[in-house]
Amino acid sequence: MNGIHRMLLVALALMIAFSVQPRAQDTRQQLSSSSVIEEIKKRGVLRVGLSTFVPWSMRDTKGELIGFEIDVANKVAADMGVKTEFVPTAWDGIIPALLAGKFDVIISGMSITPQRNLTVNFTIPYAHSGQQMTANKKLAGNFKSLEQFNDPGVTITCRRGTSTCVAAQKVFPKVTLRQFDDEAQCLQEVLNGNAYAVITSAPKPKMWTLDHPDVLFMPSEENLTKSDEAFAVRKGDPDAINFFDNWILFNTSNGWLAERHDYWFKGNAWKDMVAKQ
Amino acid sequence: MPSAPSIASRSRPRFSWIDVLVLAAVAGFAAFVAYRVNDVLNYHWHWSRIAVYLVRWDPERGVWIANLLLQGFFTTLRLAIWGIFWAAVLGLVMGIFRTSRSPAPRFAAFLYVGLVRNTPPLVFIFIFYFFISSQLVPLLGLESIVATASPATAAAIGFLCGEPKLFVNFLTGLMCLALFEGAYVTEIVRAGIESIERGQWEAGGALGLSRGQLLRLIVLPQAFRRILPPLAGQFISLIKTSSIVSLISIQELTFSAGEVAVTTSAVFEVWMTVAAMYLGICYPCSVAFARLERRFNSRGGS
Repeated sequence: MNGIHRMLLVALALMIAFSVQPRAQDTRQQLSSSSVIEEIKKRGVLRVGLSTFVPWSMRDTKGELIGFEIDVANKVAADMGVKTEFVPTAWDGIIPALLAGKFDVIISGMSITPQRNLTVNFTIPYAHSGQQMTANKKLAGNFKSLEQFNDPGVTITCRRGTSTCVAAQKVFPKVTLRQFDDEAQCLQEVLNGNAYAVITSAPKPKMWTLDHPDVLFMPSEENLTKSDEAFAVRKGDPDAINFFDNWILFNTSNGWLAERHDYWFKGNAWKDMVAKQ
Repeated sequence: MPSAPSIASRSRPRFSWIDVLVLAAVAGFAAFVAYRVNDVLNYHWHWSRIAVYLVRWDPERGVWIANLLLQGFFTTLRLAIWGIFWAAVLGLVMGIFRTSRSPAPRFAAFLYVGLVRNTPPLVFIFIFYFFISSQLVPLLGLESIVATASPATAAAIGFLCGEPKLFVNFLTGLMCLALFEGAYVTEIVRAGIESIERGQWEAGGALGLSRGQLLRLIVLPQAFRRILPPLAGQFISLIKTSSIVSLISIQELTFSAGEVAVTTSAVFEVWMTVAAMYLGICYPCSVAFARLERRFNSRGGS
């Protein structure tokens, strides 16, 4: 082999050698550049999907969204240096809407369940809630224990697609469940005397019992089950999970999340923002 | 020869004992329902709670501005007007295709009607929203239109389609509605065209008119009068079907009402108000169509 051929062969070998190494870096770059965090930074707007859930997110008298989720989402966006855009979505279709790319993240008090985890990725929990029950005095007032609810003749309402129905099934396996699209309808069934009780996330049952003391009562002051709420993002995005996880960790340690949670869930200060009674 | 005026417009209403009986029965039923609702339903009415969601006083600018429910009302109104327009255009085009002599347009329209009419509205809306619109919206660059709009364009969008922020949202709902109702309008137009007697076509052909001129000058004007009643019904049904798009989170009246109902727990007040608002859109629509029908009927001719 003469000199030129040898040089060409060496050049070809070097090119192959160098092209292998960038490919390894390529994958890592690709992964992080396709993350939703980069998309958000480029767009300058964090799009958040949520659904109306008192007091997680509601409409105040100005028609603006207020609530625990709004505060959390605004702080996340502020820490990222972007604006927030809320996309109110019907709860039934919120996960499909996330997968279809209608928004970047679900911050809507979504409880972590293994079934949901098969389609979306969850962060660590940023809030802990539980299910509570409020019952109709006329129908269930003479029930001595919670066990009496566990009967096929008893109807309990819950919101379709939420973990409250799963919790109801777990705590009362024999009960007849009636599902509705939102909490207001579930409550109305119980108020009308067509259902014995409604199970939903705390603190709504307690609020409803205080609103209608002549019709409702709480069979048990304690939560029936515990649940963890987290952000949900699309699968295949480790950077987003890492960012949101650490944001939640940071704001749990410095007490900001706990303070906001207490304001919306324990206090009554925001009641006037929603409507005059 | 002038056509005879319709019988209904000639006779004056005469009250007989049957009318009194029916009116008394209806009034009695209404009173019974009101009593049962008040007494048995165990519901505390809080009309004042939702009043603030209709209009609110803006202290900064010193004016009353529309709040959630009225904003949803205007969105539904826009959806209704644009939906009727585009469903009519689509239905007209597809109806003409259905009666075309070449097989390609005929088959295309047949496929369109067959697919859409045999799908339940909710299923169609979900399929359209989750699969089709997520492909169409980036393809048409709809989001960038809003982002890069000049203030004048933004103001125009605001008046015609609602808040620019919700532009893509609105367009998706509109496309859904127009595509869905277009199939039904197609069949109505086709029936209208096919109901024109063969003699009209032949006479037009004898005069030397092309098929396009025949359609435009002879057949469609006559067909239009015949299809006006079912068309009116279809458009009013479109206005009510628009409430289904709330399930794909289009911020129209039903969706906003749901949010207000959940936030204030004033379930009955909200839904009764919303029913009254839908009536406020549908009833003027049916009055307008009735007037249109009378104008065409009084012109005479078959």
